[in-house]
Amino acid sequence: MRFKFPLMAIGLEVAIIILFFFYVEYETDQTTNQQLNRTNATGADRSMELYPLFQDVHVMIFVGFGFLMTFLKKYGFSSVGINLLIAALGLQWGTLVQGLLHSHGHTVHVGINSMINADFSTATVLISFGAVLGKTSPIQMLIMAIIEITVFAGNEYLVAEQFKASDVGASMTIHAFGAYFGLTVAGVLYRPRLKNGHENEESVYHSDLFAMIGTLFLWVFWPSFNSAIAGTTEGQVRAIVNTYFSLAACVLTAYAFSSLVDPRGRLDMVHIQNATLAGGVAVGTCADMKIHPYGSMIIGSVAGLVSVIGFKFLTPFFASRLRIQDTCGVHNLHGLPGLVGGLAGIVAVALGASDKSTTAMQAAAVGSSIGTALVGGLITGLILKIPILGQPSDEQCYDDSVYWEVPRWREHDRHFHEPIIHKQLEPEL
Amino acid sequence: MGSQYPQSVRVYLPLWALTWEVAFILLFLFFTSYDTGPLDGRNLQRYHAVFQDVAVMGALGLGFFTSSLRRFGWSSVAFNLFMLALGVQWAVLLEGFLEKSFTVTGKILIKLSSIHQAAMSAMCVLISVGAFLGKANLLQLTLTTVVEVTAFEAVKTAFRHIFNMNQHESMMYIHVFAAYFGLTVAWCFSKSLPKGKEGKDQTATSSSLFAMLGSLFLWMFWPSFNSALLGSLDGRRKAVLNTYYALAVSAVTAISVSALARPQRRINMTHIHNAMLAGGVAVGTTCHVISSPWLAMILGLLAGLISIGGVKCLPVCLNRVLEIHDTCGLHYTFGLPGLLSGITSIMLKMYHVSWTNSPMIGYVALTEIGVLSLAMAGGLLSGLLTGLILKLKICKAHHVTKYFDDQAFWEFPHLAVGY
Repeated sequence: MRFKFPLMAIGLEVAIIILFFFYVEYETDQTTNQQLNRTNATGADRSMELYPLFQDVHVMIFVGFGFLMTFLKKYGFSSVGINLLIAALGLQWGTLVQGLLHSHGHTVHVGINSMINADFSTATVLISFGAVLGKTSPIQMLIMAIIEITVFAGNEYLVAEQFKASDVGASMTIHAFGAYFGLTVAGVLYRPRLKNGHENEESVYHSDLFAMIGTLFLWVFWPSFNSAIAGTTEGQVRAIVNTYFSLAACVLTAYAFSSLVDPRGRLDMVHIQNATLAGGVAVGTCADMKIHPYGSMIIGSVAGLVSVIGFKFLTPFFASRLRIQDTCGVHNLHGLPGLVGGLAGIVAVALGASDKSTTAMQAAAVGSSIGTALVGGLITGLILKIPILGQPSDEQCYDDSVYWEVPRWREHDRHFHEPIIHKQLEPEL
Repeated sequence: MGSQYPQSVRVYLPLWALTWEVAFILLFLFFTSYDTGPLDGRNLQRYHAVFQDVAVMGALGLGFFTSSLRRFGWSSVAFNLFMLALGVQWAVLLEGFLEKSFTVTGKILIKLSSIHQAAMSAMCVLISVGAFLGKANLLQLTLTTVVEVTAFEAVKTAFRHIFNMNQHESMMYIHVFAAYFGLTVAWCFSKSLPKGKEGKDQTATSSSLFAMLGSLFLWMFWPSFNSALLGSLDGRRKAVLNTYYALAVSAVTAISVSALARPQRRINMTHIHNAMLAGGVAVGTTCHVISSPWLAMILGLLAGLISIGGVKCLPVCLNRVLEIHDTCGLHYTFGLPGLLSGITSIMLKMYHVSWTNSPMIGYVALTEIGVLSLAMAGGLLSGLLTGLILKLKICKAHHVTKYFDDQAFWEFPHLAVGY
C-alpha cells in the first residue's frame, strides 16, 4: 500500500495533465455559440446561468454521496475520504473521455456544461462504490473509476447520440448503469467467508445520523440533478417540479411500507436513508416530459414501494443465493428505481409526453445501459481480482484502520458496544 | 411491562400515509397543470435559488435543529422529512384552491414559486413540533400536519382578505402561530416523566453538535426565507440585509449573554441553539421596510436578550404553573422573538402614519394588534383542537415511559441494549 497507491495516483494524475495539455481548452463565446446553435439557440450567457445548478450537483456528489455511505460503524473515514478521491479523479477523467467522444477526437472545449457532465460521470462510480464498500482498497477504486467512467461515456454516447433517447435525469445511464456495474463487480469479488456477515458490517446510532446528513443533502438537491442538463428553460422548470413531487410522494410511501414490513410497525433507518431518494432516481428519465405532477407522484410512489421491498426481501436473497454482497443496497436505491425510471420513460413516450424520442429507442437505451454495465462490471471485477492491488483480508473488511490513521479513542466503541465481546471470524467449513 | 410497550402502528400508519398519498395523486390529477407562462433563464435562476434555499432550511435545517435530544435523533430528523413531504403536498393544494385563478379556470397552476411558498407554510408544522417532540408518534404527527397546515392557511387567508396584507406579511406571522400552536399541543400532552426516566430529554455532546449543524444551516439561509415572498427588488434587498445584520447581532448576543447568565460564566450550547436564530425571527414582519441597518441590529440585540432571558426565567413559570414541557425551547426561539416582531411592526406602522395622517393612528394600531392576536389565537385554538384529537384512542399514543426514545419507533438491528 505504501508505494503502490501514491505511485498509481500520481501516475494517473500526471497522465491526465498531459492529456489535458493536448486536448482541452476553455470554451470562448464563439465556441459556446457554435455548440448551442447545434442544440438550441439561447445565447452565450446561458452557460453561466447553469452555474448554480452545477453547484447543487457538486454538493450532491461530494457531500450527499459521501455522507450517505457513512453508516458503517468503523468505515466513516473511508466512505467520505475515498468518495472525495474517486470523485476528484473521476471528474477529470470524465471531462476528457466524454469531451473526446462528443468532439470526435478533436480539441475539447470545457465550460459549465462539461463540469456538470463530468460530475454526472463520477456519480456512476460512486454508486458502484456503494456496492463494494468496505471490501476494496483505494487502488482498486482508482482502477474501477477509470474503467467505469470510460464505459459509462461510451454508453452515454450511444444512448444520447445514436439512439437519441431521452434521459435527462439519467435514471438509466447513471443510476441503473452504476448499480448493475457495481453489483457485477461485487459478485465477482464475492468473499465466501463473509457469508454470515462481519462484525463491523453494522451501524451505530450516530453513524446512522451521519448517513442521514447525506440523505437530506441528496433529497434537497435532487431537483437540480434532474434538471441540470435539460435543454430548455421550460423543460428545466418541469424537471424541477416533477422531481420535487416525485420525491415528496416517495417519502410517504417509503415510510408507510417501511412500517408495514416490520412485524411491530416500526421504521427501519436503512429504508428511510435510501428509499426516500428512490423517487428522484425513478423520475429521472421522464423528468422534463409533460407527465403532469400526478404522473411524477405515481412514479415516486412506485419507486418508494419497490425500494423498501427490495431492501427487505431482495438484498438477503442476493447475498445468500446470487452470492452478491451489496453493502449499501445500491440495487434498491439506484438499480430497481433506475429500471422503474426506464420503464416510466417508455410508457411516457408511448403516451405522447415527449416527441423527441421513440418507444423503441427508449427501450434500446435501457437495454444498452444494463448490458454495458454487466459486461463492463465483469471485466472490471476480473481485473480487480489481480492479487497485487492491496485488497483487505476478510478480517480487515469494513475497517478504516487498514488505510487510515484513526484516533485511538473511539467514542462509539466504549459507549455502544459494551455487551459485544470481540469475536474472531471463523473460516467456513 | 406489557402495557408499557408502544402500541403497534403497523396497520394504521401505512393506511393513513397511503390514503393521503392516493388522495393527493387524485387531487393533483384533476386539479393541477403546469404553469405555461413565459419564464426566461434569469427569472428561473432567481426562483430556483429561493426554492432550493427554502428546501435546505426545511429538510436539513429544521430536521437537525431539533435533533439535540440524546436518544431521539433518528426520529427528529426522519419525522421532520416525513412531515415536510406531507405538508408541502397538502399546502400546494390548499393554496391553489384559495387562489383567484382557480375559481376562473378550475386548475391550479404549479409554479416554482407555488412550491416554495407551500414549503414555507409547511414549515409551521416543523417549527411547532419542537415543543412536543418525543411525545408524539408518527400517526399523531400525520394528523398534526394536516390540521396545522389547514389552520395556518385559514389564518393566512383571513390576513389577506380581511386585513389586505400581502403574501410576505401574512407569512411572517408563521413564527407566532407555530410557537403557540406547539405550546398548546405540548400542554395537552403534559405529563411529567416517571422516576428513573428523567434523563432522557437531556442533550449529549454529539447530539448537540448535530443540532448545531441544523442551526447553522437555518442561520445561513434565513435571509432567503425572509426575502422569498417579496415582489420588489428594493424590498428583497432590504430584507436580505436587515436579516443578515439582525442574525449576526443575535448570534453575538446569544453567545456573550449565555456566558453571563450561567453561574460559572460558561457558555451553554442549548442557549446558543435557541438564541442565535432569534434575530431572524424578530425582523421577519418588518425586514422589507426597515431602512437602516442599525434598527435591524437593535432588533437582533433585543431578540437575543429576550430569548436568553426567556430561557433563564420562563421555564419555572411554564413548567411548574402551566405544566408545559417545551422540549426544544421553541418558545424562546420562535415565540417570544415572533411577538417582538409583531410589536415592532405595530410601532413602525404607527410611526409612519403619525407623520402623514394623525386621526388614522388609532385605527392602524387596532388593526395591527388585531393581526397579531389573530395569529396567536389561531395558533392556540387549532393547537387545542389538535391536542384533543391526538388524545383519542385511534392515535395509538405511546406510553409516557417511552417518551423521548427512538427505540419505540425504530428497528435497532444490532444495538438493542445501551445505545
